[in-house]
Amino acid sequence: MPTEPLGKNIQKVLIANRGEIAVRVLRGCRDLGLGTVSVYSDADRKSLHVRYADEAVNIGAPAPRDSYLRMDKIIDAAKRTGADAIHPGYGFLAENAEFAGMCEDEGIVFIGPSAHAISVMGDKESAREAVKKNGVPLIPGTEAGLPDDELIAAARKIGFPVMIKAVAGGGGKGMRPVYDESAFPEMLRLARSEAESSFGNGDVYIEKLIVGGRHIEFQILADHFGNTVHLGERECSIQRRNQKLVEESPSPSSFMTREMREKMGKMAIMAAESVNYVNAGTIECMMDHEGNYYFLEMNTRLQVEHPVTEVVTGIDLVKEQIRIARGRRMTPTESVLDPKGWAIECRINAEDPYNGFIPSTGVVTSSITPKGPGVRVDSGVFSGSEITPYYDSMIAKLISYGENRQQAIVRMRRALSEYVIMGVRHNIPFHINLFNSVSFHAGRYDTRFVEERFSMNTYEAEPTEEELETIAIAATLHAHRQRQQAAQVIAPAERDTSNWKWVGRYERIHR
Amino acid sequence: MKYTTIVNNTQFEVEILKDGTVMVNGEPHEVDFLSLQESLYSLIQNNQSVEIAIEEERGNYELLLGGRLFEAQVLDQRALLMAQRKGGLMAGSGEVHSPMPGLIVDVLVSTGDEVTQGQTVVILESMKMQNELKAPRDGVVGTVSCKAGQTVEKGSLLINITGDDE
Repeated sequence: MPTEPLGKNIQKVLIANRGEIAVRVLRGCRDLGLGTVSVYSDADRKSLHVRYADEAVNIGAPAPRDSYLRMDKIIDAAKRTGADAIHPGYGFLAENAEFAGMCEDEGIVFIGPSAHAISVMGDKESAREAVKKNGVPLIPGTEAGLPDDELIAAARKIGFPVMIKAVAGGGGKGMRPVYDESAFPEMLRLARSEAESSFGNGDVYIEKLIVGGRHIEFQILADHFGNTVHLGERECSIQRRNQKLVEESPSPSSFMTREMREKMGKMAIMAAESVNYVNAGTIECMMDHEGNYYFLEMNTRLQVEHPVTEVVTGIDLVKEQIRIARGRRMTPTESVLDPKGWAIECRINAEDPYNGFIPSTGVVTSSITPKGPGVRVDSGVFSGSEITPYYDSMIAKLISYGENRQQAIVRMRRALSEYVIMGVRHNIPFHINLFNSVSFHAGRYDTRFVEERFSMNTYEAEPTEEELETIAIAATLHAHRQRQQAAQVIAPAERDTSNWKWVGRYERIHR
Repeated sequence: MKYTTIVNNTQFEVEILKDGTVMVNGEPHEVDFLSLQESLYSLIQNNQSVEIAIEEERGNYELLLGGRLFEAQVLDQRALLMAQRKGGLMAGSGEVHSPMPGLIVDVLVSTGDEVTQGQTVVILESMKMQNELKAPRDGVVGTVSCKAGQTVEKGSLLINITGDDE
């Protein structure tokens, strides 16, 4: 490990991503006075990240495998524009060790951890092995690749319920919960065949199933001088199908005292140090309803929900990432045990909460974002931009903050009611309902809350007679005006007299 | 002009007079209904100011007020007559359309099947997600215009559900 700054020269950064995160990274680069290069697919020519950058390079067709996942094209774009660093954002190539290695080979600074750290943490089994050496608590489970009889014996020892997980699985796929022993053999057979057909690898392992657990993660920052700190936790238990919808910092869990933060934070630092981690990363944990916590995995990149940490710590994570990549010392010298205030993030997605959260595509005809005290919006969407089926359905991240949780909630409710998005279906009504729910207010929720105990109808009071009447008036007037307009457009061809005479008659009639 | 307007299954008789007065079930209302931009309106009534977003989908309207979604049908007298002849005002459309481009993974019903509102009829894969498309009303499956493995465009008609009596 170097004792002197590496002094890596970074003057121009290529952002190998799109959407809100590309814009977020571009802003960080601008703040540092760095030159910027965006890459874009044919579907993104109009995008904000293309217009906001100093230079923009087309890298191919809309499908990610033809553009944003094409390592060769992105490296080539960096070389052609003279970019000396690449920021991968999240998703796409952010956790691709091969890509990080390619950058290293080409002498381009990869703004993120080493290829080695990415590959160790990218594989569940090697990640568990690595952090176990540093004494990090793991969910009780087995190693991968055991035969059926040993798996059954192990499940009995761990105690039901257990989760059968595919070694090659991810993103919620290839997992099967088993609640009692009699169902185990059949579930094991299904899990193996599913893993074989989906991932080409039938190996599975078993983990204790944590019922009613909370997803709590710690933000890590580490530089080349061997310093590793944590910036407190984020609570991400409001999820649907393993997709996070709301995140907050700090966690409202009653177990999350200053002492707990210190203890879990130390554990997170140990996990990161087990792979000599450098740059920003996240340690994801599961906390059960007794306050026991376990390491789940490490995300070796900037997270979607990083803004809530930025708000309560005052640390610009993108700037710190670049600083660290340049070989300088990071700004924070110690871990954050006392976050300032409270921050909540809602992911505004083009998904219809009234219709099973089906994604919605189309042109955003109108986007009026909320503003005012305690509100931040990170978005790549604007009036006239298009939500395409090629990429994820995120429209924006809406972040509210205040002195305490109550104030953050009140401001979020205000911001949600101000937000206007037209042209595509979106999940703002879901968020409005959630922020009216008593359980959410009390901070009493876990990862099953949205799927098992929340519905769009439960928390909505019946509409009042006045509301229905107002809606009836609005709908009728809207329809009336549209029909009148349509009549005028169609009419001219059918008229036998000149348009001027017709206008005169029309006006006389409507006088 | 006289209209029959149905909001979330409640029926209103609305008449728009020449002077702009809106009669609702015979009661006059003074309404300032200002178009802000395409499909967004500001409405002031008795000094109550609200913003309403309106979108049209296949002849029906969807209105968003305070983050809450309402469904409305606006029928002029001719449309009302036709709807009544077709057998029922409140029935609603039985058409299942593809909400986005995607791949049909499975069709769970066939012609002649009885379905209930909310029952999953088609599974559509799009944006890397499997989405369940549900029956919009009770009835009997009429035509099935898609099959598993087929790619469909946004708005394609997939299934038509007709009333039990037809």
